[in-house]
Amino acid sequence: MNKKVFYILFLSSLLLASCDMFEMDNYDAPDATIKGAVVDDETGDSILTDQGSEGIRVRMLQLDYSDNAQHNPDFYCMPNGTFQNTKEFKGRYNVTVDGPFIPIVRENSSGIPIADGSQIVNLKGKGTTNVVFKVKPFLEVEFVGYPTVSNGIITAKVKVVRRVSRTEFQSLIEPMGGYDDSYPNITDIQLFVSYSSTVGYRARDERWSNHIDYSGSSFDDLLGTPVTITSAKGAAIPSGRHVFIRAAARINYDTPKGSGTRRWNYSKPMEVIIP
Amino acid sequence: MKKLIIFLAVLSLTVSCADLDVAPKNVVTADQLLSDESGMDIYLARLYSYMPYEDFKYLPQWGFNFNGWLVSIGISGTGECLDRDGICAAFTSESTPYWSMAFRELREANFLLENLPKYKSHYSEAMYNDYLGEAYYIRATVFYAMARRFGGVPLVTKVIDYPDKSDNLEVPRSSEEDTWNQVLSDYDKAIELLEPTSPKDGYANKYIALAFKSEAMLYAGSVAKYNQTVPGYLTGIGQKTGVRVIGFAPDKWEADSKKYFTEAYNAAKEVINSGIYSLYMKDWAPNDPEAQYKNMVDMFFDDSSPENIAVKKYIYPTSTHGYDAYNSPFIFRSPLSSGMCPTLDFLELFDGFPRYADGTVRVTDGTSNTTGHYLMYDSPLDFFKNAEPRLRAYVIFPGDQFKGKTIEIRMGTYTGDVPIKPFWSDYSYNSAEKTYQQLPEYTQTPKTLYLSPSNGSSQEIVHLDNGTTMTASGENGPFYANGESCLTGLLVRKYLNPDPSAVIGEGKSSQHFILMRYGEVLLNMAESAVELSLAGVPSPDGKDLLQQATDAVNQIRQRAGATLLTSTIPSTDAGRDIVRKERRKELAMEQKTKWDIRRWRVQHYEGRDGFWGEQRDKNAYSNNSNYRFRGLYPFYSTKAGKWFFDAHFQAVSLKTFNYNILDYYFAIPDNEVSKSKYIDQQPNR
Repeated sequence: MNKKVFYILFLSSLLLASCDMFEMDNYDAPDATIKGAVVDDETGDSILTDQGSEGIRVRMLQLDYSDNAQHNPDFYCMPNGTFQNTKEFKGRYNVTVDGPFIPIVRENSSGIPIADGSQIVNLKGKGTTNVVFKVKPFLEVEFVGYPTVSNGIITAKVKVVRRVSRTEFQSLIEPMGGYDDSYPNITDIQLFVSYSSTVGYRARDERWSNHIDYSGSSFDDLLGTPVTITSAKGAAIPSGRHVFIRAAARINYDTPKGSGTRRWNYSKPMEVIIP
Repeated sequence: MKKLIIFLAVLSLTVSCADLDVAPKNVVTADQLLSDESGMDIYLARLYSYMPYEDFKYLPQWGFNFNGWLVSIGISGTGECLDRDGICAAFTSESTPYWSMAFRELREANFLLENLPKYKSHYSEAMYNDYLGEAYYIRATVFYAMARRFGGVPLVTKVIDYPDKSDNLEVPRSSEEDTWNQVLSDYDKAIELLEPTSPKDGYANKYIALAFKSEAMLYAGSVAKYNQTVPGYLTGIGQKTGVRVIGFAPDKWEADSKKYFTEAYNAAKEVINSGIYSLYMKDWAPNDPEAQYKNMVDMFFDDSSPENIAVKKYIYPTSTHGYDAYNSPFIFRSPLSSGMCPTLDFLELFDGFPRYADGTVRVTDGTSNTTGHYLMYDSPLDFFKNAEPRLRAYVIFPGDQFKGKTIEIRMGTYTGDVPIKPFWSDYSYNSAEKTYQQLPEYTQTPKTLYLSPSNGSSQEIVHLDNGTTMTASGENGPFYANGESCLTGLLVRKYLNPDPSAVIGEGKSSQHFILMRYGEVLLNMAESAVELSLAGVPSPDGKDLLQQATDAVNQIRQRAGATLLTSTIPSTDAGRDIVRKERRKELAMEQKTKWDIRRWRVQHYEGRDGFWGEQRDKNAYSNNSNYRFRGLYPFYSTKAGKWFFDAHFQAVSLKTFNYNILDYYFAIPDNEVSKSKYIDQQPNR
């Protein structure tokens, strides 16, 4: 009697078992690669940025799932304006970038699309997919001449020009609603100093980096002219060191709208030897 | 085989046809809970236990965990205090988001509202209304706690049956405007229904609801107005629903902010006009700083204080917390100490200190803290002899008394010649990382500056000319390598139990937390009055707005022993800042300031000039999105036999805070967004 009860219990327990129990429950690691670049739509030059949440943000949304899917964790362009992610799952994605340029996805205040420069890509397993985003950067920032150094303080000349005029900016941004004339104002220029050649906002050395703030449209008179900016006064860079500097400037417009993150347009980095 | 058949036959007999519809005896039913007062006590006790009240059991960095582990107040990048740990960071998120537990609380409040009418006959009319009022008050409090974190939230105002079709279960986020309107209407219903005094300790009453309504509406009015000052304007539409889940529409914000400020003003005025409450003045005496100081220490411990409106009570040994265990001076360490070290920037809000031309506290006889020689004092307390009594009640000064002991705070001992030139040529933000142990006076031999890495045997010993010795640092630090010592030269006094016989330990403290006091109501009234005046709104009750604001500020200042205003507050941003600054001073270390600077929108770089309630140049303490605070470090000069102070950025456990515009609205928990077709993430994230 007892034995039979055990048999019944044992046999029925087998019914509950599944063959999956004997397999490794694992999903293949993501192996699709996406490579991309964000370039100026006129010159084809890369949009220089900084790798961090104040730089050019790459956002990927996989479209193979329901409509309320969440985007992948954001990642950011490298300082030279290109990006690469070798650990994406294969699938169909919408890719969009936000940075110091006219937003590529623009909607009016009731959510109706005006322009959509985002791209749909099919990522294949073990494959590499290339994308290029052509954008209109707000500003172009460059050093004029070679910086001078005295007593451990760097003095550099920075030139900022608009790549999108005020009128063009207004014609593109105003249809999105809530436009304000203060948006195209240039609010600050920055001089980032670091021991690292990937210098930028994130990799700056706070002891030496410096910035000049401008109120209202006061910078407009300085457009296209060399502006002198020094590394932070009072904190001398030790002599004999090599540091890297970059200049950056931004307008009073956050991308994407409402994020409060106003992203800088950057110059190329420059190495400075402190005598 | 036969046996098996018998077995199965027996088995078949055990099947019964009776319906299992008997109420389980181990489950308490609504009928039992809602049908009499003792049941209602149990029901409400649970609701009130899970109220989003920020007291001794709330740490901003962690959110509502309802435990008191490591509790320190004012350490979330507000400038009030500093702490050594990672919990000392700007208020940009809570690790336990106030989301799912909020909906549980809402469900229980809604259940009460829907089911209590069935038992109306069991209660007197007043009691029945009061219970409904409690439910509305709880709901208002929950929506208010959510709104100031997230903006627009799902307005769940009825019990949702579960299981049900998923469409009935999902409630999308409402607009921020609708959310604040719901907060307003729930508070109004509570005010209408609640009794003027709480039927039981811990229950709400009409004036508690009015006082919190004024606080909530001040928040709403400020957000509507000051979102407009943020670059790019802070508002946005949810991706899934198209609802304006954060901020206010361009054509709505102005009218809304006027409406909310008016509500804040009226609610505060009703509390004031009731005449029930007043500022605590029991030990106060005019022109007696000692009495005024004692008065403001005692006010947090006197249960009969006429200033208390809402109090979260603790009782030893059943309901306790560990505030004293984490925040007492180093010599009382058990198991931790010095969790709240007030900053010099905070001290600079107060009267009674010599200043340089730029408004910073004077420590040398030159024109700034890099020029001239250090001012010398016979005792460290001499530096504070004219300090506002309120500050002394909130902060332990070096050399002052606490729990019957002198609190020795000394960064180091200087044996060099006098007069002494400032240690540094540069005290700017960029040199904040330089610390005293890097000074040549300390590193070279023979050295003239003695510092200690820690207490006890780690103390460096200074040999004095008369043959005696002394330790380099004070008993309470600051020790340059021990974050459990005093970090800034100052220590918190507010709410620390001053009774010398009180035992310090985790779970040993039982002082009550005052959630709402009359002082705040006065300041709510004053701030909304100035905001109404700035917006050009005529006084809702015909009284002169600015005169009332001035009187309220002067009442607070008189009690605090501060300098009184001699003229009426002007209807300008500078006038508004007088009220803001008073609020930042009076309500410091009471879990309020982090919300005030959030609603003023003064934490991001562009708006940071207004961070202190008054205007200060943000570049003095910040660099783009990062910012830091300073300490006031006491040193002893053996040659002079006197004390001097150095004003330097936090020299022990330096904290750098970071705040961006994004942080004015917390992210909705990601799992809630991804599992729902309706719940929107913040549009700017």
